[in-house]
Amino acid sequence: MRDQDNTLQHLPNQLSALAWTLAFIGLYVALDWASYVSPLHQLNVTPWNPAPALGLLFVIRRGGRATAALLLAVIASEILVRQVPGGLIVTVWLGVVLTTGYLVIALLLKRYFPDSGLFTSRRTLLPWSLIIILGSLANGLLFVSQLLVSGLLPRSDWGDAVMRFWIGDGVGIFVTMPLLWWLQDAAHRQAFGAVILRWETLAYSALTVLTLWIAFVPGAEANFRYFYVLFLPLVWAASRQGLAGAIFCVATLQFGMLLGGLLHDSPDISLFELQTRAFLLALVGFLIGTAVDEQRRSAAELRQSLRLAAAGEMAGALAHELNQPLTALAAYASACRQLLERGADDVQFREAIGKMTGEADRAANVVRRLRDFFRTGATQLEKIALTELVATASSPFVSQASAAAVDFRVGTIPAATINGDRLQLEVVLRNLLANAFEAVAEVQAKPRRVSFNAFVDEGCRLVIEVVDNGPGLTEALSEQVFEPFRSSKSSGLGLGLAISRAITEAHGGTLTANLSGQGHFRLVLPIEAQTARRKSSHG
Amino acid sequence: MDNTVFIVDDDASVRDSLGLLLGLRGYRTSLFADAAGFLGALRADWQGCLIVDIRMPGMNGLELQRELQSRGCALPVVIITGHGDVSSAREAFRADAIDFLEKPLDEAKLIKAIDESFRRQSVSLSTRQQQQAFSRRLDELTPREHEVMELVIAGRHNREIAAALGISPRTVEVHKARMMAKLDADNVPQLVRICLESGAS
Repeated sequence: MRDQDNTLQHLPNQLSALAWTLAFIGLYVALDWASYVSPLHQLNVTPWNPAPALGLLFVIRRGGRATAALLLAVIASEILVRQVPGGLIVTVWLGVVLTTGYLVIALLLKRYFPDSGLFTSRRTLLPWSLIIILGSLANGLLFVSQLLVSGLLPRSDWGDAVMRFWIGDGVGIFVTMPLLWWLQDAAHRQAFGAVILRWETLAYSALTVLTLWIAFVPGAEANFRYFYVLFLPLVWAASRQGLAGAIFCVATLQFGMLLGGLLHDSPDISLFELQTRAFLLALVGFLIGTAVDEQRRSAAELRQSLRLAAAGEMAGALAHELNQPLTALAAYASACRQLLERGADDVQFREAIGKMTGEADRAANVVRRLRDFFRTGATQLEKIALTELVATASSPFVSQASAAAVDFRVGTIPAATINGDRLQLEVVLRNLLANAFEAVAEVQAKPRRVSFNAFVDEGCRLVIEVVDNGPGLTEALSEQVFEPFRSSKSSGLGLGLAISRAITEAHGGTLTANLSGQGHFRLVLPIEAQTARRKSSHG
Repeated sequence: MDNTVFIVDDDASVRDSLGLLLGLRGYRTSLFADAAGFLGALRADWQGCLIVDIRMPGMNGLELQRELQSRGCALPVVIITGHGDVSSAREAFRADAIDFLEKPLDEAKLIKAIDESFRRQSVSLSTRQQQQAFSRRLDELTPREHEVMELVIAGRHNREIAAALGISPRTVEVHKARMMAKLDADNVPQLVRICLESGAS
């Protein structure tokens, strides 16, 4: 009974494995059939052989137990696509030889690229390429020697056959495996789609078609000398979308070149020559793509560490602020104990406890601010009306201005929209205003002034200027103030200008201190193009 | 004037809560929002201790401590801070702070620091009074008696002193007896001790 139960439980798994294997074999045969163009002596030697890429990926994913499936797929291809040249026994033997070669390549890839079987950096691109290229060459020599032994290939053709097999398999795997790798499962497909599914892809694909036309139509009359234009869309794709874009563009180019070569069927250039060019394109594309990816990764890491530094500084500032209400809370609590011991009246108790509640609220506010900051750890972009942003950020300062006898003026705010994180930008504005108010607090001899102005410049950027008539900054201080832990402040928001600058730069803007003998900070942020136009039409 | 705890902190709640707590524990308190306010109100006869926060707008707590030292104000200082680092603690203790307490404050430690301040102040007060009395008495000595005193402290015998000053040993004895009487010293060892304690040479 129990055995039966086990079998029943495992049945879905086994069925699923079987279904995958059948699907793989079907796909392998279909790929082989589709790419079975201009073969040599009706043999498995074609200028473009992408099916092994699928086989390698299948073995890398499923391990050694996929060998049988690969062998079946190879033999099924021979039977279905090439109608068994040289009889069934020879076909099975050739299948065993080919499968062994692919297995060795797959195991090598799995050994040196254990995570995924694919290169991820420029450093790993070279060993990956070498395994594919040398593996294909070795496999070609082995396979062609068996063809010679079985008498399917004239002895005089062996050099040409090895060359063709090498290029067909090598380029086939080199170009197709990265693409199939990205398409292998839902997670990879989603990541690939996130990069590729953009209008820009359509644009460079259109350029790909155009350059293919140039290479094959006017190029045919010029002895196919215009192939270099094919680098244009490739460099575009690789530099903008990294490796994913390069892989997609290389696949498109490869397909287009084969199609062009077949349609043109020119004696001036063979499909094999086209394939060597495709290989070169792929190599350059992958190199640029990985370089772009690496650069983006390190930029992201830098941004992350900047954010962590800013968060650390913020946490330090907030810890100080948290200490104040905690100190007061502890003191009020001790006072309450004293009151209790001496049997004080309700009024005194009520008053002390009311103050404790107030301090607890204050501490909660500090914690909330810290949490808000960490929530915005991943900058949440939304469209923010500048007028609203300024109103929220400046409102606490309006009451402070009258209390501290500061002439606080907010200029006309343009009707612009910023694409940014509301909370973080509020922090920046509040921080700049707090700085200005602190600076003018030292002014005794003349009336204290703080002004806040915003306008849109010619380059469709939003410029915000906070000016106070405090002592201003010296040249040495103007850069120092942006460094973390340089704050000379005792209380208040205490976020430091470092964090404001980090936030501004994360929004693609700049924050600078002007040396004009008074406090003068200039914040420049990119804004949405249509709001800039709307603004100019408003006058 | 009685001992008073002077609290200087820019945070109103901290000030108010400490004032309430210390007031309930029977201390006289006086609260200031910043260093300038405290210095403006400062009187020479103030006694007790000063509790001051480091981080404040304008003059900070350590600067206030140094300013008081340079003014010759002997009020003991307790530093409190939200983020105590080694360098500011070192600076505070080099300027003779009684204690360096971190916020949130531990009530027992705070009370201990205040009481320690009061104790040290009364000790320093009594030594200062002794010093003042001694220097007043020192002023009463004639120049010759002063010379004799210095030689006695240096360990010379009467005959040596007589030779050094060119007077008779008998006269030296008279000067010495008057000097001892004016300085209220019973014997030579006591004279040496009084002189050492008061720092007079």
